[in-house]
This record gives sequence, structure tokens and C-alpha cells, in this order.
Amino acid sequence: MKFETGKRGLLINILSLIVFTIVWQILVILARNDIFNIPFIRLRDIPTPVETWYALVGSMFTRIYGPSFTYGIINHVYASLQRVIQGGIIAFIIGVPVGIGVGYSKFLGNLFNPIIEIVRNMPPMAWIPLSIFIFVSGGSIFIVFIGVVFPIILNTIQGVKSTDSRLIDAAKTLGASESMIVKKVVIPSAFPSIITGLRIGIGVGWMAIVAAEMVIRSPVGLGYFIWNMGDLGRYSEMVAGMVVIGVIGYIMNISILLLQRRFINWVD
Amino acid sequence: MKNLMKILFVVIIAIFVAGCLENKKTPEVSMPINLVKMSGQEMIQRLGTGEIAGFIMWEPYPAIAVTKEDGKYLVLSGKIWKDHPCCVVAYDDDWYKKTNNSDEILKRMALSQLKSVEYINNAKQSDSPDHDQLINYTMQFGQMTDPVAANLSLADVEFVYNTNVAGTTTFIQRIQDFGIFDPNKWNLSGYKNASDYANSLVTNNYVDWAVNNKDENVSKIALKEPVNIRYAYLVNDIHELPFYIGWQKGYYRDLGINIVIAEGAPFQNGAFEMQQGFKANTVDVGSLGIPPVIIHRINSNDFSNDDTRVGVIAGMNNEGSVIVVANNITSLKDLQGKTVGFPGPGTIQHVLFLMEADKEGLKVSY
Repeated sequence: MKFETGKRGLLINILSLIVFTIVWQILVILARNDIFNIPFIRLRDIPTPVETWYALVGSMFTRIYGPSFTYGIINHVYASLQRVIQGGIIAFIIGVPVGIGVGYSKFLGNLFNPIIEIVRNMPPMAWIPLSIFIFVSGGSIFIVFIGVVFPIILNTIQGVKSTDSRLIDAAKTLGASESMIVKKVVIPSAFPSIITGLRIGIGVGWMAIVAAEMVIRSPVGLGYFIWNMGDLGRYSEMVAGMVVIGVIGYIMNISILLLQRRFINWVD
Repeated sequence: MKNLMKILFVVIIAIFVAGCLENKKTPEVSMPINLVKMSGQEMIQRLGTGEIAGFIMWEPYPAIAVTKEDGKYLVLSGKIWKDHPCCVVAYDDDWYKKTNNSDEILKRMALSQLKSVEYINNAKQSDSPDHDQLINYTMQFGQMTDPVAANLSLADVEFVYNTNVAGTTTFIQRIQDFGIFDPNKWNLSGYKNASDYANSLVTNNYVDWAVNNKDENVSKIALKEPVNIRYAYLVNDIHELPFYIGWQKGYYRDLGINIVIAEGAPFQNGAFEMQQGFKANTVDVGSLGIPPVIIHRINSNDFSNDDTRVGVIAGMNNEGSVIVVANNITSLKDLQGKTVGFPGPGTIQHVLFLMEADKEGLKVSY
């Protein structure tokens, strides 16, 4: 993802968001006044950005109406983020060693490659029905794990394979053991690639968690929130939830990018 | 750009910290009972495996769970609110306006409803010659295999054909108290209060006509030209047995109405029937719980063309929902902090559960 940097780039970024919001507002208002309509789409039923904003503010924190206790968006974000982080950590702990093993050893590569190639082509959403039945709890964490682990494994393999063979040879010449070579040469060389895998994986995991929360039963989570609001016909809150999903996904992506640039400064 | 990233990074950390603090706050309010949406089949299965502590659902699911000994009845909805209205027969206002003889059709829909209810109420008696036939219909409609469960499921459902304006007003009031209406949409609706809204929603004329004509010769009052009615109902809901009886025994057909099952029916819950059926104009007449009708005629309606406007012409049943719990649960208080299945937000079971929790001073999250 390349952005034009500097003030001009930032200005264009902000302008594009403003224009998008204005176009959204105008389209809905035109449809509501029967001036313009896109066939087969009930544009008039889409909440305007202004309605969405008010819904977002109104549902940010827990609301209590008599016995009814409605969790705030903040609780739902927290629950979803927690699941993504837990799934991401498990995927990292399993994915990196598997990726290094498969990338470094030809034997392990031949052994595991067919399994990885088949399983990675099953999208995380395809695992949802099975996880409903096999997990008593934590099914959605598993869905995140599936989403995150394969980008990590594949990027780790790629990172390991692209290690400069001269560096490995040099280490061997200096008498380094296999485990030393992996620890001191292969892993540092593959690390940027591993982090790229993590970034892609977290993006997939975030999308998967929202789908999983719609199906796997849990009282909190952004997927559950937007589904519930849709059931109640509270469409402004539903769209506010969707916007939050998008914004959090974006923030997570650039946060990892930021960390990558900050801590892996030996890579371009 | 770097600064923007830093700001966004701080924002995500702030949300996470705020979420932690907000979550910590929750128990201080008292541990809520967590309602989680699921299908009736799933409720029975998950209660059996201990994944949920209970559920609130329409019959026959409670009866099936109890006969399988996976749980027990904790509260019958008749104890929450005696004779509360439940499912009703509703028509789509767009269909009503564009159909020439819609009033005549609705009168006959109400008459068929009346005949079915009378049949069921007679056949419910175990010494009735029709009892076995009724149990067979119940098992077919509820997709049951156990006649004991079928009998049990009929016991707490009160089949009716009358409309209930007072009960509807109470439901509207409670739905307002529980913060379920979209405040902007409520303002757009122009209703002054719950009673004003209930009176606009419910019409007694059709049932009155049915009562006056119930002993007339059917061939005399049948529609001259038979019409097709796209009908929607809820999946495996014993409350709507009068519809199934009227359809199977040919009451509709004899009155000149051909029932065509609407696209998407049977629906998983009333919210779906309102949003995907009535609003999308794929349903002419249907049966569903009164709360989804009340909620979605406001929340899902586009008031510039009133596309989700429906009218209630007859009752289907009173009572008939049950809070079923695991065998170790003895009161609603025991459900605090636990997960309880329900058919979805805005369903009658949701509103009834909130009402019961309110009586007990408990909180319910969904």
C-alpha cells in the first residue's frame, strides 16, 4: 500500500473521506425524496452519515433500559479485538516454527506442503459450521487462528527460502551449528517477511471474526452487534458498527506497519 | 503521515483500555443474564450438552427438551403475564391497497382462523374423537416424532382468534420502556402514545364478520373468484397451528382462498418475516408474534411510502412460550452471568424474558 506522503497526501486522504461522506449523504437524501434511485437497491433505507454518527455516539457505551442491558460498541470492539489477538498469538506461536521448519528443511517441506496447500485453500468462513459443533467455546478464536496462521506460515516459508545462501555458507564455514544458523541467520533474515504475514493474517482474521461472531453464539462482539441491530431494525446502529469494523481494521493494519518500520529498520 | 499513524495507534490503544474499563464496570451493575440468539434445534442441543443454562422459546421446543429430560420448565409465559397475546394474523398494507376485494378476502381469512381455533379447542380434549388427528397435525407442523411431546406442547398454548388491543397496547408500552424503538422512527410515525398506535394496528371488523357468519353455508359466502394468497409463517411454531389446520383441512380453500407459501417462508423468526417478507412485498398475509409487528412497523418502515405497514386482523394464540432451564437451575436469579438461548432480539420471547427479569430485578444483556 503506497500513499503519497507529506501534507499533500494527507490532505487528499482527508478530502476523499469527506467527499465519500457527502456523496453518501446526497445519494440517500435524493432517494428519500424520489429524485434519484439505483434500480434494485433500496437506497432510501440506508442511514445517512449524520444518522450513523448519532447512532455511533449513542451506542458507544453500555445503555440500561429497565432490565435491558445493551452492551456499548466499546465492549463489542474489546471482545472482538481480544479474540483476534488471542487467535493471532496462537497462530504466531504455531505458524512461525512450522514455516521455518517447512522452509528450511526439504524433508519437512515435502511432508507438510500438501497439507498446507489443501488446508490453506479452505477459507476461514468455511470452518465456521464445523467449529460450531467441535468447540464448546472459543470457536471464533479458532476461526481467527485459521485466518492468521496460513499467511504467517507462507510468508515465513518465503522469508526462510529467500535467506541469502552466502550468509548460511559463511556461518557454516565459521563452524556454526544448524540451530545456530536458524537462530542467527535464517530467523533475522525472514523476520520482516514473518511480520508481513502477521499483518496480512490479522487483516484476514479481523474479517473472519466478524463473520464468525454472526454465527458462533456469543453475547458480545462486533459481528453479533451488527446482526442484532439489523434484527431490531436499528439500521443506523448497524451501519455505525460496520464503520467501526472498517476503521479498526484500518488502524490495526497501519499499527502493524508502524511497528514494522519502527523495529525492523534494517529492511527497506 | 507518520503523525497520523501515531495518532491512530494511540486511538486503538485507547479503545482497548476503554473496553477493559467498561468491561470491568459490568459486574458492578449486577451480572446480566446473557441472551444469545439461536435456533430452536440448537437450544435443545446446547441445553443437552450444558453449553447454555436455559432458553426461552415457543412450543414445541420447550416440550421436546423436557420430554428428552434435558431440562425443565422454569416459567410458563402465562405466569409472566396471564393471557398475553402472542402470535397474530397480519396483512401487508401494500397488498391491501392494490387488491380490489382485500376486505372480502380478509374476512374469510378471519373465518378460517375461527374455524381452526374452534376445531383445535375441541380436539385438545383427550376424549375428543379428533384428538389423535390433532396430535398428528401437531407432529407434522412441529416436525416432531414424539406424541408425548406433541401433547405437552399443546397444553400451555391458548388458541384464540380474537384481537387484543389492550394487550397490544401493553406490549407497545413495554417495548418503549425497554428502549427497542428507534427514537427517530418513532417520531416520524406520528403516533401520540401506545394506545394510539395499537388502535391503528389492530382491526376487529374481520373477526366480527367471521363471528356473525360462522354458521353460514360455506358455499354461500365463499369468494366467487378464488384468489391466491402468499402466506408466511414461522418455522415449527405450534402457536401457528390454526393456520396449518385451516390449510390442511381445506377451510381456506372452501372459502375461495388458495394458500401459496410465500418466498422465504417458513421464517426463522418474526423479525425476518417483517423485513424479508412484508417489507419486501413477498408476503400478502402471514402469522407471527405481535412484538416483531409492533417493532418493525416502526423501525424498519420507510415512512415516505409506508412499505412496512401491516395490519392485524386476528389473533392466533395467547401464552405458549416457556423459559426452560437445566435441571440444576431453580430460579431466574441462578441464570445471572450465564448464557440463555432466545430466538432473536425483538421477538415475543425477548420481550417476555425482559418482563420477567424486570419483576425479579435482574439485568439482561443481548
